[in-house]
Amino acid sequence: MAILINRETQVLIQGITGKVGSFQSQIMKDYGTKIVAGVTPGKGGTEIFGVPVYDLVEEAVAEHRIDAAFGFVPARFAKEGALEVLSAGVPFLVLTTEGIPELDMLKIVHFAKIRGAKVLGPDTPGLISPGKCKLGVHPHALFMEGPVGILSRSGSLSYEVARVLTSHGMGQSTVVGIGGGPIWGLSQQEVLKMFQDDPETKVVVLLGEVGGRMEHAAAEFISQHMTKPVVALIVGRMAPKGSQMGHAGAIIEGDEGTAESKIAALKKAGALIAKSSVEIPEIIKKIGV
Amino acid sequence: MRLLEFQAKRMLQEHGIPVPKGVLMTSPGEMNKVTYPSVLKAQVPVGGRGKAGAIQIVRREEDGAAMVKKLFDATVKGYPVQAVLAEEWVEIRKELYLAYLIDKENNLPLVMASAEGGVEIEEVARKNPERVIQKHIDPFLGLQDFNLRPLTKALKAEFQSLRALVEAMVRLFHEQDATLVEINPLAVTAKGLVALDAKIVLDDKAAYRHEELFKSLQAEQRGFDKRVRSPSEELAEGTGITYVPLDGDVGMIADGAGTGMLTLDLIHQYGGKAANFCEMGGLSNAETMEKSIQVILGNPRVKVLLIGLIGGMTRMDEMGEGIYQYLKKADRRPPIVVRICGTKADVGKARLKEVGIEAYEDLSAAVQDAVRRVKEL
Repeated sequence: MAILINRETQVLIQGITGKVGSFQSQIMKDYGTKIVAGVTPGKGGTEIFGVPVYDLVEEAVAEHRIDAAFGFVPARFAKEGALEVLSAGVPFLVLTTEGIPELDMLKIVHFAKIRGAKVLGPDTPGLISPGKCKLGVHPHALFMEGPVGILSRSGSLSYEVARVLTSHGMGQSTVVGIGGGPIWGLSQQEVLKMFQDDPETKVVVLLGEVGGRMEHAAAEFISQHMTKPVVALIVGRMAPKGSQMGHAGAIIEGDEGTAESKIAALKKAGALIAKSSVEIPEIIKKIGV
Repeated sequence: MRLLEFQAKRMLQEHGIPVPKGVLMTSPGEMNKVTYPSVLKAQVPVGGRGKAGAIQIVRREEDGAAMVKKLFDATVKGYPVQAVLAEEWVEIRKELYLAYLIDKENNLPLVMASAEGGVEIEEVARKNPERVIQKHIDPFLGLQDFNLRPLTKALKAEFQSLRALVEAMVRLFHEQDATLVEINPLAVTAKGLVALDAKIVLDDKAAYRHEELFKSLQAEQRGFDKRVRSPSEELAEGTGITYVPLDGDVGMIADGAGTGMLTLDLIHQYGGKAANFCEMGGLSNAETMEKSIQVILGNPRVKVLLIGLIGGMTRMDEMGEGIYQYLKKADRRPPIVVRICGTKADVGKARLKEVGIEAYEDLSAAVQDAVRRVKEL
């Protein structure tokens, strides 16, 4: 099981022949991800590590069943690339690109909604279901298969927490990076719901950070719909107000953007609060998953 | 980029939105340009200028000189005043609030309006949420008349003139890639609607679509920004490295925003004080690493440097090389604690060994070591 991706997921990579794209795609393929097609305009008809390359997404879709697309596309071409994927009927798109203009993101997300497709990101490392499928740039040696679902705004923080869990023998069902914002495709709340519905996931770790009020919405969802235990870590307790902390969405602007306010809301909703990555395995151990 | 008021008003005017007649002074010597009664407004990029005394109404010419001088001598929330906008005083019948922005929770453009303008809208929304009208706009349909009718009703405004104004705002928003256009207050006057104050934020991520405009707006702002900058801030400018100065002595560098914030929290938790927040960004290489160290060590208060790395997209061979290169060349070498793991970590670790650094695998162990070393100094 796991969520969003599994052993059977057939993947298309946009920008498969670029420097970063080819380096990371090769790693994904070696990991076992079923990359069935690549797209790079102008390179159609060629092959890269045994994967056929097409000029257009629609050409790839005509030849293969595509369950998910992963984009290594520079920010200024991201909207075009995403709309092409969604128009071709691909049901799930992972947008790693950082720095996509906000008005472009609104159009991508709105179009995906109309097409009934899911978008993860932008500014995300992607997602990994350890041992099954990797659709991302994660340092996968730090991950192992198991019952913990992780969702994170930050890529690096999800690696860190997975590393700590793995070192305690606690594997992960799926680790989802929802992205650095400030516009998000899939929200924390939507990913929580998927974990709630996934039989393999026994406990969920929510990794949030300062800025916006997404964690407040997640807290409402947790209190109303989650029966599985949720462990939450919110970073940025020491972040000064008004400074952008590396992610476009990580900036404290209103009272609800602070770590304290998010921690309070999550606590009230019944989530177990960890103060740092080190505490997460201790809390999970106590729950007894 | 947040525009200064006079820049925002110039942009509004270019899009057909009426603003009061005004002149921009860059020194008290230009005060002969002012006609009275006048509203004098310090041009600093912060909110709450009224309360901070940065906006003054001067009715009589004889009071003008002293007030102009006083404003130019002032520092508002850290910004020494370098420019003052003098505007004609306008007789106001009513003050409204109007804004067009991106609602990041719902991923939709949003028009916001209230009949209670001139005060902080967050305040109105908290006390009387029903007095703030919020209507989502479909990104593909754009602004429609039915979106505007509830606004006209709530503001008791005349439909045609309000529509012309909101349409102009929306056009500006999309043409200039704004993320916020806020007019507060929007004054109802004998001559119609006038934007008395304006806040415009442009999307930096879309700067490539407006290169000339961004360059000229930035140049203008730099000329008026005389904040005292630290060497680190100057080194970081334009590099793409996120640098936030703090007041402690543990310098830190992270290769991700989330682990960077976690590192800050951990430094505090273990009894230390961070000197800064620094994140290199997703596509960093050896050069970025080397540059980041220069930025952090540009701060003389840094006693120990903590570099916490967990590479996915970022390659640890590159990071190791960057630290190595810095140490080969540099004179300033405080104790450096490194945590390195992830993509190609073995290569990075081996490179660090050559310069005598034994890298950590565990972040909290590295943070504790850094905090301990500061205390030992």
